[in-house]
Amino acid sequence: MKKFLVPICLFLATMAYSQDDLLKDLDSTQVEDSYSTATFKALQLVTLQTTKMAAKKEFYFVVSHRFGTVKDGFDSFFGLDNATTKLGGIYGVTDWLSVSLSRHTLNKMYETGVKYRMARQDASFPVDIVGYSVADINTFLEEDQYPGLEFKHRMTYVQQLLVSRKVSEKLSLELVPSFIHRNLYNPAIENDNQFSFGGGGRYKITKRLSVNLEYMHNFDTPDFYKNPLSVGLDVETGGHVFQLIFTNSQSMSESGYLTNATGDWGKGDFFFGFNLYRVF
Amino acid sequence: MKKSIIHFFVLVLLITVSTDAWAQKLITKTGNIKFQASTPSNEEVAAENKSVSAVLEPSTGDFAALVLIKGFRFKVALMEEHFNENYMESEKFSKATLKGKMEDFDLSKVTSTAKNFTLKGDLTLHGVTKPITVTVKVSKAANGVMAMGSFEVKPEDYGIEIPNLVRKKIADKIKVNYNFLLVK
Repeated sequence: MKKFLVPICLFLATMAYSQDDLLKDLDSTQVEDSYSTATFKALQLVTLQTTKMAAKKEFYFVVSHRFGTVKDGFDSFFGLDNATTKLGGIYGVTDWLSVSLSRHTLNKMYETGVKYRMARQDASFPVDIVGYSVADINTFLEEDQYPGLEFKHRMTYVQQLLVSRKVSEKLSLELVPSFIHRNLYNPAIENDNQFSFGGGGRYKITKRLSVNLEYMHNFDTPDFYKNPLSVGLDVETGGHVFQLIFTNSQSMSESGYLTNATGDWGKGDFFFGFNLYRVF
Repeated sequence: MKKSIIHFFVLVLLITVSTDAWAQKLITKTGNIKFQASTPSNEEVAAENKSVSAVLEPSTGDFAALVLIKGFRFKVALMEEHFNENYMESEKFSKATLKGKMEDFDLSKVTSTAKNFTLKGDLTLHGVTKPITVTVKVSKAANGVMAMGSFEVKPEDYGIEIPNLVRKKIADKIKVNYNFLLVK
């Protein structure tokens, strides 16, 4: 009888083994992608772009306003009488490439942009890297004022690198080195090539609400322009993203925003506005 | 002495056969789960995951399935992002699992016409585990069985918050369809 003991034990052991959790077998069969998602809620932080991309075949319709300066109080109803508007669209060609076109009231500006993702944050890489190239066409300039004006003089180019990191579920940070080139400039007060560096971040207060802040330092700015400092609030409502913003730079075009900030926070001279996105 | 040697071999054979039977678990890595959370006359809220893992132990009827939340694909990318970020919180709760047992399961009774079995088990979703009873239609397929069916899930049971603003756009009961071709 003793001889049976070993095989019986073995038999029982196999029985016990089969009771092992089936789920554990499955765990090893699935490989999770570790890409960071939803680093930012919207395509823009405040006025700067974020590393968020439009997905393939996704179309975003964007309406933004920057009102006049708040400092005049009731005279202009805190700037609401002097609204400037941006109307535009962004289309995702693929998940890593999107193109955009917009029209701005200020300087009757047309802006075209290309945004392309070069790297994504995941378990092995610490940041998202996105390139953003912009061409601004100023159609406000008139030959009466600028004799000999050619089309090329209307152009301003901006090249940006957007580097972001989702630090935690709530906190995301972004750095934005920018290079600006103007074809038309006044050599007495400014350079045709300007370099600007800064960044910002967002902090989620609730699942659908976040506070955003951004600042850009322009190394070549003439002293009557300020550096843009802006604060915003993202409100997500299903298919819309609504951003309420306060800024000292009224322009919504990339070049204008970075180089022509006229408001001064210290003097209560800033602009109220919003960005509204609708996704199709 | 001779007799005991025979007994010994019979037992060894038994062990081999039995382990072999357990080795014959039926498995899939490409199972399909679809859910439908739309309400009438609103934007469609639906998604599909085509890489669900599932395993069936035919000798006992034990069954388990595992799905990664990030693997659900929506028609609208933004909806998918919100699903992960705001509803399922997939960075915290990366997977959903179902573990249970099909009562009176007998592989030999499974034919090409679907037969209903009752599966009792636990569904873990959004970090919350609740008992669930599901009717599974099992039919014979090449090299294994096909298991399919549907069940309903209430988001509130699993602590998934739905804000008032979109309350009317998301169904109270979400219909989940599954389809697993389990093979050896």
